[in-house]
Amino acid sequence: MFSKLRLATACKVGELSGRLSIKLGRGRGETLSGRVILALDPRAISKLSAGRDIVLVSGTNGKTTSTRNLASILRDFAGEGVSTSESGANMPAGIAALLAQLPRNRFAVVECDEMYLPDMYQKLAPKVIVLLNLSRDQLHRTGEVRKVSNLWHQAFTNDDVTFVVDRDDPFLEHAVSQAGHVIRVSFSGRRHPDAATCPNCAAILDWSTGDYACACGLGAKLPDVRSDKRLDGPQRNTVLVIEAARLMGAEILADEATDLINKAPDRIHSFSAGGKIIPTHLAKNPESWRQALGDVLADQVVLSVNARGIDGRDTSWLWDIDYAKLRGKRVICTGERRLDVAYRLSVQGIEVSVASSFAQAVEEFTSEPIQAIVSYTAYQDLLATELGITAGKSGAQ
Amino acid sequence: MSLTIVRLYHDLLGTYGDQGNAEILMHRAKARNLDVQLVEVTPGMAVPRSGDIYLLGGGEDGPQSAALEMLKQDGGLQYAAAGGATVLAICAGFQIIGESLPDSSGNAVAGLGLVDAHTIYDASPRSVGELVIQPSRGGLPMLTGFENHQGLTRLGEDMPPLGLVQSGVGNGFSKQEGVWHGNIFGTYMHGPALARNPELADAVLQCAAGPMRPFNDPLADAFAKERRQTLTGN
Repeated sequence: MFSKLRLATACKVGELSGRLSIKLGRGRGETLSGRVILALDPRAISKLSAGRDIVLVSGTNGKTTSTRNLASILRDFAGEGVSTSESGANMPAGIAALLAQLPRNRFAVVECDEMYLPDMYQKLAPKVIVLLNLSRDQLHRTGEVRKVSNLWHQAFTNDDVTFVVDRDDPFLEHAVSQAGHVIRVSFSGRRHPDAATCPNCAAILDWSTGDYACACGLGAKLPDVRSDKRLDGPQRNTVLVIEAARLMGAEILADEATDLINKAPDRIHSFSAGGKIIPTHLAKNPESWRQALGDVLADQVVLSVNARGIDGRDTSWLWDIDYAKLRGKRVICTGERRLDVAYRLSVQGIEVSVASSFAQAVEEFTSEPIQAIVSYTAYQDLLATELGITAGKSGAQ
Repeated sequence: MSLTIVRLYHDLLGTYGDQGNAEILMHRAKARNLDVQLVEVTPGMAVPRSGDIYLLGGGEDGPQSAALEMLKQDGGLQYAAAGGATVLAICAGFQIIGESLPDSSGNAVAGLGLVDAHTIYDASPRSVGELVIQPSRGGLPMLTGFENHQGLTRLGEDMPPLGLVQSGVGNGFSKQEGVWHGNIFGTYMHGPALARNPELADAVLQCAAGPMRPFNDPLADAFAKERRQTLTGN
């Protein structure tokens, strides 16, 4: 009885603090609301998860988009309300706030930060965990890609949950190699830029066939689902999301699945500045930059790089990317670390200039189309400006 | 004059963007009209013995052990270094060129022994953050980089460090950071180190190619200056 009352009070006070935070223009309120809930009832996440059918979505790239996509597919195909995180708040506070939201639907699709996944797996007792991909990201926080893979490997040893993973990613295959139930999806293999050695035994991985093989047996398990078409990152994530939706009871026919894959959501949002519309990619690590660069068609490009906490405080990864696609275009760099990216481009022989702000950069172009690639906090700042709220600075550079 | 730069196993030792050091050296060498070529050494290939500059980057524990084993068996880098070739080794690479280092289970294994340095596994939190050092030689200014490592490295008594730590951790002993012994450079600085410190890039080039005229690259200098100013206030 007391336990229920405590949870109810925590959720009510949390909701009020969240509303206050929005009123004060401090952001969207989830994180504050969740912190209050957890302060008043540290067991709130487990209690709010009890009796619900939960899917956790994690991985380096595409978490927010895939979470939203899965929630929408479940609504359409399972015909039920779905609670989900809309904003990408994927740490415990954000997750507590989402679970507390009314109505508390039976289905919840929850985005989860990689480092918190083992803990959230324990607390939420999900039915399904979707693991999208693992590559270099925020190394100042995670240390190494391998560390995340090992952390998961050690945490996932039971058969109380079903994983949906891209088995072409050796870091994911290692993460689930001790797990009881795994749906392995293969996209016919592709070289992983960070996996020269085996995540399990550290031997040099044999990639000669375009897929990996190792004497220790990593990669030997056959895939459950195979896709032979060439798919890009967002499309691959959609395939995984469809498998997860099926596990949750959604009946999706083959041609419906093809439609969903063809219109896989990407990470482009159009911002307006100085009367111009700028389709903008959120890219935050080498892999997502490679994908974003592949989509650049305009001859005028703005690149914005910050190095606040969530962006990765070390900008060295800018050197992992080949920018040849930008050759011959007019490129303006902005953001707090504009010189890091501008110098990197100049060494590759790409002409660049710098501007003190996104608006300033856009102003230098007299015509459209203009495209932008921006880092995480730069994107948040643009969104905040658009919504008329003060951006929360996520740590100094 | 011609110059051969050898980039060693960048698939294994390129986790933190250090492969960029090769591009920066190429860029600054070409600006001086040097005839420069880059040799990419991948696992299974022999390490050339006649290179002028050898580059090793930072990597994760498993790949670091794999790279160390291959270098030991090959012997090409040790041969070239004994003959006076220039070596720039970053982070895991810096640990590899020392006398000993921990393997992925934490047991001490022999390194390549190009410099008298012993890396030990330390249970304290990983050293992660901006690093600022003051070199005492070569007319080098304050250098900056980003460190991200678990091990700590003790230099032998006669081994000169690259510089003294102004802020950050560096080697973790006596405020020392890196090593600069003859033509061999080691450091924990990522960034990559040569992107954030053009003067260090030229010091490495000059070890291999002799004195060279200054190269005016306003963007490189502005970047180095911005980092220095942000981190030290001057």
